[in-house]
Amino acid sequence: MTYLKQLAVLLACCAAGEALSLLLGGRLPGNVLGLALLLVLLLTGVIRPRHIEGAADFLLQNMAFFCLPLGLSVLDIFDQIKGEVLAIFAVCVLTTLCTAAATALTVRLVCAVQRRMRGEVSDRA
Amino acid sequence: MHELLSSTAFWMCLSIVCYACSIRLQQRFPSPLCNPLLLASIMIGALLVGTGTTYQTYQGAGQMIVFFLTPATVALALPIFRKLDVLRANLLPILIGALVGSVVSILSVIGFCRLFGLSDVLTLSLLPKSVTSPIAVALSDMLGGFPSVTAIAVVFTGISGAVLLPSFLRALGIRDPLQTGLAMGTASHAVGTARALEIGETEGAMSGLAIGVAGLLTTVLLSLWTMVA
Repeated sequence: MTYLKQLAVLLACCAAGEALSLLLGGRLPGNVLGLALLLVLLLTGVIRPRHIEGAADFLLQNMAFFCLPLGLSVLDIFDQIKGEVLAIFAVCVLTTLCTAAATALTVRLVCAVQRRMRGEVSDRA
Repeated sequence: MHELLSSTAFWMCLSIVCYACSIRLQQRFPSPLCNPLLLASIMIGALLVGTGTTYQTYQGAGQMIVFFLTPATVALALPIFRKLDVLRANLLPILIGALVGSVVSILSVIGFCRLFGLSDVLTLSLLPKSVTSPIAVALSDMLGGFPSVTAIAVVFTGISGAVLLPSFLRALGIRDPLQTGLAMGTASHAVGTARALEIGETEGAMSGLAIGVAGLLTTVLLSLWTMVA
């Protein structure tokens, strides 16, 4: 029963997120709005981690499994794109590496700049 | 036999068994190429092709499984909340990192699509491929791409990110949980996050946060792009 109640809380956030998405004319996706809503509810203490953590950890730990049907949808349209499939795959791999490298190095740079600014501030003080 | 092969419970059970086997294989051979999603996709794909079962038949089970991706995405609020101190202390690196990552993702898609001579429609389908699939598919639809190609590109991206990024980032000398998590979440959404959660809770939380931030930033960037173009 505990897990069912926890799942109900998560599903309530999903439903509220989807309703909010419709109200906003679909400009923001429901699942992200649901995530933001749950975060706000956690931050304000309306929902405590114990209200969701069993079901939430189960879902988080098995997230890759829930993506499985998305991976298999390739079978459905393979005939239409089989000529381009290698190029699409190459674009995906190369851009993923570019994006990750750019993100990681930007984060490193921002952290270094922040450390330097903090250092300069403490030097003056 | 036909009755069994068209049973939702059968494919649901088989999906879990294949996923469990993939997890065991990854534990036995802890290589990035032993990605559970990749292995389980290949196993189920081979079983579908081998038995002559169409994806439409599998969708009975598939839709039930993928349904849980939405509450799982919502549940990402929990690891973020648990790592709130790290988040507050690193607000600027997170926002700027995800913004630069999202811009580089869009620009590099345009560049590599030109290089490989892909059509405009395929390029539009690939533009949102770094973000989580529900957002990416909606954006592809908005841009006039093929949402089905986008769904596949998102999975290619997620799998290649989950398989390649831990070693790729280490090769670049990146070991910091903040940099690793944000890079994996920005570049390869929920599939990368699933891998990042295996590395550590900070990596997973940062990666999960980056899904939301990069998803929103990419939405804004591509909306602006359609207004200019």
